[in-house]
Amino acid sequence: MSLYDLAPTAEDAGIHIQNLTVSYDTDRGRFNALKNVTLDIRPRHITGFIGESGSGKTTLAMAMMNAIQPPGRIDGGAILLDGAGDVLQLRGEPLRRLRGRYFGFVFQASSNSLNPLKRVGAQLMDLGRSHGISDLRGLLREAKALAERIGLDGDRVLTSYQHELSGGMRQRVGLVFALVLKARILILDEPTTALDMLTQQAVLEIVRSIHQEQGLTTIVITHDMGVVAEMADRVVVMYAGRVVEEGPTFSLLTNPQHPYTQGLIRAIPRITGNLDDAKPLPGSPPDLATIPTKGCVFRERCYARTSVCDTVDPVPTSAHGDGLVMCHGVDAS
Amino acid sequence: MIEARNLVKTFPARGGLLAQKAVQAVKGVSFVIPDGGAVAFIGESGCGKTTIGRILSGFETYDSGEIYYNGEDLSALPPRTRQERLRKVQLIQQDPYAALNPARTIYQSLAAPLSWEAKRRHKEKGWIERRAREVLELVGLNPDVVLGKYPHMLSGGQRQRIVIARALTVEPDVLVADEAISMIDVSLRLGILTLLQTLRRDYGIALLFITHDIAAARYIGHDGRMYVIYQGEIVEEASTDELIRSPVHPYSQALLSAVPVLRGLERPGQDRYIPLGEFSVTETSGCRFAPRCRFAHDLCQKEKPPLIPWEQEDHRHACHFPTPRRVVAEPLEGHS
Repeated sequence: MSLYDLAPTAEDAGIHIQNLTVSYDTDRGRFNALKNVTLDIRPRHITGFIGESGSGKTTLAMAMMNAIQPPGRIDGGAILLDGAGDVLQLRGEPLRRLRGRYFGFVFQASSNSLNPLKRVGAQLMDLGRSHGISDLRGLLREAKALAERIGLDGDRVLTSYQHELSGGMRQRVGLVFALVLKARILILDEPTTALDMLTQQAVLEIVRSIHQEQGLTTIVITHDMGVVAEMADRVVVMYAGRVVEEGPTFSLLTNPQHPYTQGLIRAIPRITGNLDDAKPLPGSPPDLATIPTKGCVFRERCYARTSVCDTVDPVPTSAHGDGLVMCHGVDAS
Repeated sequence: MIEARNLVKTFPARGGLLAQKAVQAVKGVSFVIPDGGAVAFIGESGCGKTTIGRILSGFETYDSGEIYYNGEDLSALPPRTRQERLRKVQLIQQDPYAALNPARTIYQSLAAPLSWEAKRRHKEKGWIERRAREVLELVGLNPDVVLGKYPHMLSGGQRQRIVIARALTVEPDVLVADEAISMIDVSLRLGILTLLQTLRRDYGIALLFITHDIAAARYIGHDGRMYVIYQGEIVEEASTDELIRSPVHPYSQALLSAVPVLRGLERPGQDRYIPLGEFSVTETSGCRFAPRCRFAHDLCQKEKPPLIPWEQEDHRHACHFPTPRRVVAEPLEGHS
């Protein structure tokens, strides 16, 4: 009896990723951006995807919507969405409708995802039309209410061009676009990377309260452990296209099992405590072309490397109560 | 040593039908960058901190005020001579992707400033490559590996190291790092900070660290000095440790509060406070921060607070009601 046999309520949208493999075709050959990822994303939780550039966190989020573009390709696996079945089996119009109904995606650079030549309101109407909404007036009304809910001046924002808005405001407009069609799953890709600390806190606060209010399934993709620590219920640590550790935020932060997670936490510049306690993580972020095909993908940067790491792929081991870790060092102990 | 007194910079109004008002980005700022010192400017986007960095590195002019460079007043010099004097102040910008020419190898990027330097100092031919290898080693890169590469073949952290190496080709007195780590992977940020620290310690290069990330600014050195900038004005200044331990201006406290708390490893400061509104640039005769300040009184709306000492002479603030508050996170037992 698996988890998804329990009928979810009409509103709850959990995501169950099974054995997902995604590869990219490059001029240097075909490389796996994700390899055998199996993961449950819980409804009504905020899940943080953390990892360096090239770790596959954005690819994983795109794959959930079956939105991998060539030269990328989904090679295998399933993505079961509560109440909708396997997203990877859908094509064309049904897929588009499913995305519109379930997913709201806030892009990394919201400034780049808005049309510079159209007012925000006109772009909202385009969004409504492309999803077959007849009551465009109602849509605008809702967008305005939503904008005001998250601290924007609704009238002003709807009549603005994107260059008239500050970075924090654009990011909030991105949220309005993502939520106005009543998305059940909110995905934020690096929502605060270009923002200063005060604006970052304001955006995180808004996401947190909207998430609660609407009972969303929220995914935050970030490379900043601070962002995850502030808002995520659970953390998924990714490295070179693998989930290397997963679990509740508190447990993962206080008791990280994987050497990579330990290194990430130790590398955070902290506001208090001894300056010398922070240590940079050695080496460079993974490059798809140089990821070893056999053995542990992190071994080149690992302090606990042993001979078994060179030849044998680590398997998921239970950790953090209901989480997992993939490391030979943890297996042994 | 660089000393700036009362620096003012106004960006002219843009014309057209809807003429915009002139923007005064820097409103009379004074500070000192000692030889081999570490200074941080802290503030939100749009507070003018970047403009100050650009003025110091000769990319921008200033309207009034003085800059003394090793005792010489640059304001009196013609712009070209001034720029020549500021050659030893090198700017490292936020985006290492945009700072390097994608069509040039790393060697070509480094050789350009070096050949200029070689001509000036009448060096022989082999000097350029020798020096290029030297600066790459200084920033912790292997010259044999990177010299022939193009920027796209390197990670963000490696690219930022190249940008720093290029700045080192002129043997600078001061490095101005403007959000130099904010676009780099978190795991690599600390490495860049450590590199800047090392350059300061071993070669006496002063650092001006411009950022909104106070936690990172702390890593340029214990003995550093912080200036908190709000809308083009200094609202608080103190040694790094003092400012983090006992900030008295509500804006400094807001910035310190906004540093993410690592739950489980840290507990939030008991007075943590985060204003959610964005700043407006409406003119006021009072304190500019008052509209966003939860501790503002009538006086704050009417009268502008001067920058005055708090307890010690070197901790200064511009607030009518300075109050120390505990806003930064504290490490929990066993997880320092």
